[in-house]
Amino acid sequence: MLVDFEIIKRAQAGDAPAFNEIVLAYRKRTLGTIARLISRPEDVEDVGQEVFLRLYFSLDQLRTAEVFEPWLYRLTVNAAYDYLRKHRRRMESRMSDLSEQQVMLADAVAGGRVDHDLRRRRQISEAVDAMLSAVSEADRILLTLKEVEGLSLKELEKIYRVKENALKVRLFRARQRVLKAFGEAGHEPSAKGAAKAEI
Amino acid sequence: MKWTNRGDESAELDALFRAYRDALPDPDASANFMPELWRRIEERQRSVFFMGRWARALVTAAAVLSLGMAAYLYIPHGRSSVFSMESYVEALAAGHAQDTPDLPDSAGDEL
Repeated sequence: MLVDFEIIKRAQAGDAPAFNEIVLAYRKRTLGTIARLISRPEDVEDVGQEVFLRLYFSLDQLRTAEVFEPWLYRLTVNAAYDYLRKHRRRMESRMSDLSEQQVMLADAVAGGRVDHDLRRRRQISEAVDAMLSAVSEADRILLTLKEVEGLSLKELEKIYRVKENALKVRLFRARQRVLKAFGEAGHEPSAKGAAKAEI
Repeated sequence: MKWTNRGDESAELDALFRAYRDALPDPDASANFMPELWRRIEERQRSVFFMGRWARALVTAAAVLSLGMAAYLYIPHGRSSVFSMESYVEALAAGHAQDTPDLPDSAGDEL
Protein backbone atom coordinates (compact mmCIF):
# COMPACT_ATOMS: atom_id res chain seq x y z
CA MET A 1 0.00 0.00 0.00
CA LEU A 2 1.33 3.40 -0.97
CA VAL A 3 -1.04 5.15 1.46
CA ASP A 4 -2.34 4.35 4.94
CA PHE A 5 -5.84 2.99 5.23
CA GLU A 6 -6.57 5.96 7.52
CA ILE A 7 -6.18 8.27 4.53
CA ILE A 8 -8.57 6.13 2.52
CA LYS A 9 -11.06 6.28 5.40
CA ARG A 10 -10.76 10.07 5.47
CA ALA A 11 -11.32 10.20 1.71
CA GLN A 12 -14.37 7.96 2.14
CA ALA A 13 -15.73 10.54 4.57
CA GLY A 14 -15.42 13.20 1.83
CA ASP A 15 -12.04 14.69 2.77
CA ALA A 16 -10.75 16.19 -0.52
CA PRO A 17 -7.08 16.56 0.57
CA ALA A 18 -7.06 12.87 1.57
CA PHE A 19 -8.39 11.91 -1.86
CA ASN A 20 -5.72 14.11 -3.47
CA GLU A 21 -3.10 12.25 -1.44
CA ILE A 22 -4.36 8.90 -2.78
CA VAL A 23 -4.32 10.18 -6.37
CA LEU A 24 -0.81 11.58 -5.99
CA ALA A 25 0.44 8.30 -4.51
CA TYR A 26 -1.00 6.06 -7.25
CA ARG A 27 -1.08 8.42 -10.23
CA LYS A 28 2.30 7.65 -11.78
CA ARG A 29 1.92 3.89 -11.50
CA THR A 30 -1.64 3.96 -12.81
CA LEU A 31 -0.73 6.17 -15.77
CA GLY A 32 2.16 3.82 -16.59
CA THR A 33 -0.14 0.80 -16.58
CA ILE A 34 -2.65 2.63 -18.77
CA ALA A 35 0.09 3.74 -21.19
CA ARG A 36 1.13 0.12 -21.71
CA LEU A 37 -2.44 -1.15 -21.90
CA ILE A 38 -3.68 1.28 -24.54
CA SER A 39 -0.45 2.23 -26.38
CA ARG A 40 -1.70 5.73 -27.09
CA PRO A 41 0.29 8.28 -25.08
CA GLU A 42 -1.98 11.19 -25.96
CA ASP A 43 -5.00 9.55 -24.28
CA VAL A 44 -3.29 8.22 -21.16
CA GLU A 45 -4.21 11.18 -18.92
CA ASP A 46 -7.82 11.12 -20.05
CA VAL A 47 -8.18 7.43 -19.18
CA GLY A 48 -6.26 8.02 -15.94
CA GLN A 49 -8.70 10.71 -14.89
CA GLU A 50 -11.57 8.37 -15.66
CA VAL A 51 -9.99 5.78 -13.34
CA PHE A 52 -9.70 8.23 -10.44
CA LEU A 53 -13.16 9.61 -11.16
CA ARG A 54 -14.58 6.10 -10.80
CA LEU A 55 -12.49 5.65 -7.68
CA TYR A 56 -13.93 8.82 -6.15
CA PHE A 57 -17.53 7.74 -6.71
CA SER A 58 -17.05 4.16 -5.56
CA LEU A 59 -14.68 4.70 -2.65
CA ASP A 60 -17.46 4.35 -0.08
CA GLN A 61 -17.91 0.69 -1.11
CA LEU A 62 -14.38 -0.19 0.03
CA ARG A 63 -14.35 -2.09 3.32
CA THR A 64 -10.81 -3.42 3.87
CA ALA A 65 -7.34 -2.07 3.13
CA GLU A 66 -5.99 -5.20 1.43
CA VAL A 67 -8.49 -5.06 -1.42
CA PHE A 68 -7.70 -1.44 -2.32
CA GLU A 69 -4.88 -2.09 -4.78
CA PRO A 70 -6.54 -4.98 -6.68
CA TRP A 71 -9.64 -2.83 -6.78
CA LEU A 72 -7.74 0.15 -8.25
CA TYR A 73 -6.25 -2.24 -10.82
CA ARG A 74 -9.77 -3.44 -11.66
CA LEU A 75 -10.90 0.15 -12.20
CA THR A 76 -7.84 0.69 -14.42
CA VAL A 77 -8.54 -2.46 -16.40
CA ASN A 78 -12.19 -1.52 -16.87
CA ALA A 79 -11.39 2.03 -18.00
CA ALA A 80 -8.71 0.76 -20.42
CA TYR A 81 -11.12 -1.88 -21.74
CA ASP A 82 -13.83 0.75 -22.33
CA TYR A 83 -11.29 2.94 -24.09
CA LEU A 84 -10.00 0.11 -26.32
CA ARG A 85 -13.51 -0.90 -27.27
CA LYS A 86 -14.37 2.67 -28.21
CA HIS A 87 -11.19 3.24 -30.15
CA ARG A 88 -10.54 -0.02 -31.94
CA ARG A 89 -7.09 0.37 -33.33
CA ARG A 90 -6.73 0.33 -37.08
CA MET A 91 -3.63 -1.41 -38.29
CA GLU A 92 -2.89 1.23 -40.85
CA SER A 93 -2.48 4.61 -39.17
CA ARG A 94 -3.66 7.40 -41.36
CA MET A 95 -2.12 10.82 -41.01
CA SER A 96 -5.56 12.33 -40.42
CA ASP A 97 -5.86 10.21 -37.26
CA LEU A 98 -2.55 11.23 -35.78
CA SER A 99 -2.28 13.71 -32.97
CA GLU A 100 -0.22 16.83 -33.39
CA GLN A 101 2.54 15.26 -31.32
CA GLN A 102 2.59 12.13 -33.50
CA VAL A 103 2.63 14.20 -36.70
CA MET A 104 5.61 16.14 -35.35
CA LEU A 105 7.30 12.87 -34.43
CA ALA A 106 6.60 11.39 -37.86
CA ASP A 107 8.04 14.49 -39.50
CA ALA A 108 11.07 14.34 -37.27
CA VAL A 109 11.61 10.67 -38.10
CA ALA A 110 11.29 11.40 -41.78
CA GLY A 111 13.74 14.27 -41.48
CA GLY A 112 16.18 12.18 -39.45
CA ARG A 113 16.04 14.66 -36.59
CA VAL A 114 14.80 12.25 -33.96
CA ASP A 115 17.35 10.40 -31.90
CA HIS A 116 17.90 6.69 -32.23
CA ASP A 117 16.47 5.80 -28.82
CA LEU A 118 13.13 7.49 -29.46
CA ARG A 119 12.85 5.79 -32.83
CA ARG A 120 13.61 2.40 -31.28
CA ARG A 121 10.97 2.91 -28.56
CA ARG A 122 8.44 3.86 -31.15
CA GLN A 123 9.29 0.79 -33.21
CA ILE A 124 8.89 -1.53 -30.20
CA SER A 125 5.64 0.10 -29.15
CA GLU A 126 4.15 -0.23 -32.64
CA ALA A 127 5.32 -3.84 -32.97
CA VAL A 128 3.76 -4.90 -29.65
CA ASP A 129 0.61 -2.92 -30.40
CA ALA A 130 0.23 -4.65 -33.78
CA MET A 131 0.78 -8.10 -32.26
CA LEU A 132 -1.66 -7.53 -29.43
CA SER A 133 -4.32 -6.56 -31.93
CA ALA A 134 -4.40 -10.28 -32.81
CA VAL A 135 -6.36 -10.92 -29.62
CA SER A 136 -9.52 -9.42 -28.14
CA GLU A 137 -9.36 -6.27 -25.99
CA ALA A 138 -9.98 -8.32 -22.84
CA ASP A 139 -7.19 -10.80 -23.65
CA ARG A 140 -4.87 -7.98 -24.66
CA ILE A 141 -5.31 -6.42 -21.22
CA LEU A 142 -4.89 -9.73 -19.40
CA LEU A 143 -1.74 -10.57 -21.36
CA THR A 144 -0.28 -7.10 -20.84
CA LEU A 145 -0.89 -7.27 -17.08
CA LYS A 146 0.86 -10.65 -16.90
CA GLU A 147 3.68 -10.31 -19.42
CA VAL A 148 4.43 -6.59 -19.37
CA GLU A 149 3.30 -5.41 -15.94
CA GLY A 150 4.63 -8.60 -14.39
CA LEU A 151 1.63 -9.31 -12.18
CA SER A 152 1.47 -12.79 -10.67
CA LEU A 153 -1.43 -15.19 -11.19
CA LYS A 154 -2.42 -14.64 -7.55
CA GLU A 155 -2.63 -10.88 -8.13
CA LEU A 156 -4.59 -11.40 -11.34
CA GLU A 157 -6.93 -13.74 -9.49
CA LYS A 158 -7.72 -10.93 -7.03
CA ILE A 159 -8.21 -8.38 -9.79
CA TYR A 160 -10.41 -10.52 -12.02
CA ARG A 161 -12.07 -12.57 -9.24
CA VAL A 162 -11.58 -15.61 -11.43
CA LYS A 163 -9.98 -18.94 -10.49
CA GLU A 164 -6.27 -19.29 -11.27
CA ASN A 165 -6.80 -22.25 -13.62
CA ALA A 166 -9.29 -20.32 -15.75
CA LEU A 167 -6.79 -17.47 -15.98
CA LYS A 168 -4.00 -19.87 -16.97
CA VAL A 169 -6.08 -21.31 -19.80
CA ARG A 170 -7.05 -17.87 -21.05
CA LEU A 171 -3.49 -16.59 -20.84
CA PHE A 172 -2.15 -19.64 -22.65
CA ARG A 173 -4.61 -19.23 -25.52
CA ALA A 174 -3.97 -15.50 -25.79
CA ARG A 175 -0.21 -16.04 -25.78
CA GLN A 176 -0.50 -18.70 -28.49
CA ARG A 177 -2.44 -16.30 -30.69
CA VAL A 178 0.09 -13.54 -30.11
CA LEU A 179 2.95 -15.98 -30.79
CA LYS A 180 1.30 -16.89 -34.07
CA ALA A 181 1.03 -13.21 -34.99
CA PHE A 182 4.65 -12.80 -33.92
CA GLY A 183 5.69 -15.70 -36.18
CA GLU A 184 3.81 -14.19 -39.09
CA ALA A 185 5.48 -10.86 -38.41
CA GLY A 186 8.79 -12.64 -39.07
CA HIS A 187 8.67 -11.31 -42.61
CA GLU A 188 8.29 -7.78 -41.35
CA PRO A 189 11.40 -6.15 -39.95
CA SER A 190 9.60 -4.12 -37.26
CA ALA A 191 8.46 -6.76 -34.73
CA LYS A 192 11.21 -9.35 -34.93
CA GLY A 193 13.86 -6.76 -35.55
CA ALA A 194 12.81 -4.95 -32.41
CA ALA A 195 12.81 -8.20 -30.44
CA LYS A 196 16.19 -9.37 -31.75
CA ALA A 197 17.73 -6.02 -30.95
CA GLU A 198 16.63 -6.54 -27.34
CA ILE A 199 18.02 -10.07 -26.88
CA MET B 1 13.29 -27.99 -35.85
CA LYS B 2 9.81 -26.66 -35.29
CA TRP B 3 9.91 -26.88 -31.47
CA THR B 4 13.18 -25.06 -31.29
CA ASN B 5 11.77 -22.35 -33.51
CA ARG B 6 8.72 -22.03 -31.31
CA GLY B 7 10.95 -21.87 -28.23
CA ASP B 8 13.07 -19.21 -29.87
CA GLU B 9 10.00 -17.26 -30.80
CA SER B 10 8.69 -17.52 -27.28
CA ALA B 11 11.98 -16.17 -25.89
CA GLU B 12 11.95 -13.39 -28.47
CA LEU B 13 8.40 -12.53 -27.56
CA ASP B 14 9.35 -12.33 -23.86
CA ALA B 15 12.25 -10.05 -24.78
CA LEU B 16 9.92 -7.87 -26.82
CA PHE B 17 7.49 -7.58 -23.91
CA ARG B 18 10.37 -6.57 -21.62
CA ALA B 19 11.52 -4.02 -24.17
CA TYR B 20 7.96 -2.71 -24.43
CA ARG B 21 7.91 -2.27 -20.64
CA ASP B 22 11.16 -0.30 -20.81
CA ALA B 23 10.07 1.69 -23.86
CA LEU B 24 6.96 2.93 -22.07
CA PRO B 25 8.04 3.92 -18.54
CA ASP B 26 5.53 5.35 -16.06
CA PRO B 27 4.83 8.86 -17.40
CA ASP B 28 4.64 12.00 -15.30
CA ALA B 29 1.22 13.62 -15.22
CA SER B 30 0.80 17.11 -16.62
CA ALA B 31 0.21 20.09 -14.31
CA ASN B 32 -3.39 20.11 -15.46
CA PHE B 33 -4.10 16.59 -14.23
CA MET B 34 -5.51 17.38 -10.77
CA PRO B 35 -7.55 20.51 -11.73
CA GLU B 36 -9.06 18.62 -14.66
CA LEU B 37 -9.83 15.62 -12.44
CA TRP B 38 -11.64 17.82 -9.90
CA ARG B 39 -13.52 19.59 -12.69
CA ARG B 40 -14.77 16.21 -13.91
CA ILE B 41 -15.67 15.13 -10.38
CA GLU B 42 -17.68 18.32 -9.79
CA GLU B 43 -19.36 18.01 -13.18
CA ARG B 44 -20.39 14.42 -12.37
CA GLN B 45 -21.58 15.46 -8.91
CA ARG B 46 -23.76 18.18 -10.46
CA SER B 47 -25.30 15.79 -12.96
CA VAL B 48 -25.90 13.20 -10.20
CA PHE B 49 -27.48 15.93 -8.05
CA PHE B 50 -29.82 17.05 -10.85
CA MET B 51 -30.71 13.49 -11.73
CA GLY B 52 -31.49 12.87 -8.06
CA ARG B 53 -33.73 15.93 -7.97
CA TRP B 54 -35.52 14.81 -11.13
CA ALA B 55 -35.96 11.32 -9.73
CA ARG B 56 -37.39 12.70 -6.45
CA ALA B 57 -39.75 15.02 -8.34
CA LEU B 58 -40.88 12.11 -10.49
CA VAL B 59 -41.53 9.89 -7.45
CA THR B 60 -43.49 12.69 -5.74
CA ALA B 61 -45.60 13.27 -8.86
CA ALA B 62 -46.29 9.52 -9.17
CA ALA B 63 -47.33 9.34 -5.50
CA VAL B 64 -49.67 12.34 -5.84
CA LEU B 65 -51.21 10.85 -8.99
CA SER B 66 -51.73 7.50 -7.27
CA LEU B 67 -53.42 9.15 -4.28
CA GLY B 68 -55.63 11.19 -6.62
CA MET B 69 -56.70 8.09 -8.53
CA ALA B 70 -57.38 6.19 -5.31
CA ALA B 71 -59.52 9.06 -4.01
CA TYR B 72 -61.41 9.27 -7.30
CA LEU B 73 -62.22 5.56 -7.19
CA TYR B 74 -63.19 5.66 -3.52
CA ILE B 75 -65.63 8.60 -3.70
CA PRO B 76 -69.12 7.46 -4.95
CA HIS B 77 -70.27 8.86 -8.29
CA GLY B 78 -74.11 8.44 -8.54
CA ARG B 79 -75.97 5.09 -8.74
CA SER B 80 -73.76 3.58 -11.33
CA SER B 81 -70.88 3.61 -8.96
CA VAL B 82 -69.65 0.29 -7.74
CA PHE B 83 -69.60 1.85 -4.30
CA SER B 84 -73.34 2.63 -4.43
CA MET B 85 -74.97 2.45 -0.99
CA GLU B 86 -77.98 0.36 -2.06
CA SER B 87 -78.09 -3.17 -0.82
CA TYR B 88 -77.30 -6.17 -2.94
CA VAL B 89 -80.94 -7.32 -2.96
CA GLU B 90 -82.16 -3.88 -4.07
CA ALA B 91 -79.61 -3.79 -6.83
CA LEU B 92 -80.61 -7.30 -7.94
CA ALA B 93 -84.29 -6.40 -7.92
CA ALA B 94 -83.63 -3.26 -9.94
CA GLY B 95 -81.60 -5.20 -12.41
CA HIS B 96 -84.21 -7.93 -12.93
CA ALA B 97 -87.44 -5.93 -12.83
CA GLN B 98 -88.56 -7.44 -16.16
CA ASP B 99 -88.16 -11.00 -14.81
CA THR B 100 -90.96 -10.56 -12.23
CA PRO B 101 -93.98 -12.55 -13.48
CA ASP B 102 -97.28 -10.65 -13.99
CA LEU B 103 -99.63 -12.37 -11.57
CA PRO B 104 -103.24 -12.58 -12.75
CA ASP B 105 -105.74 -10.66 -10.69
CA SER B 106 -107.56 -13.87 -9.79
CA ALA B 107 -106.87 -13.96 -6.07
CA GLY B 108 -109.82 -11.74 -5.27
CA ASP B 109 -112.19 -13.77 -7.43
CA GLU B 110 -111.72 -16.88 -5.34
CA LEU B 111 -112.77 -15.17 -2.18
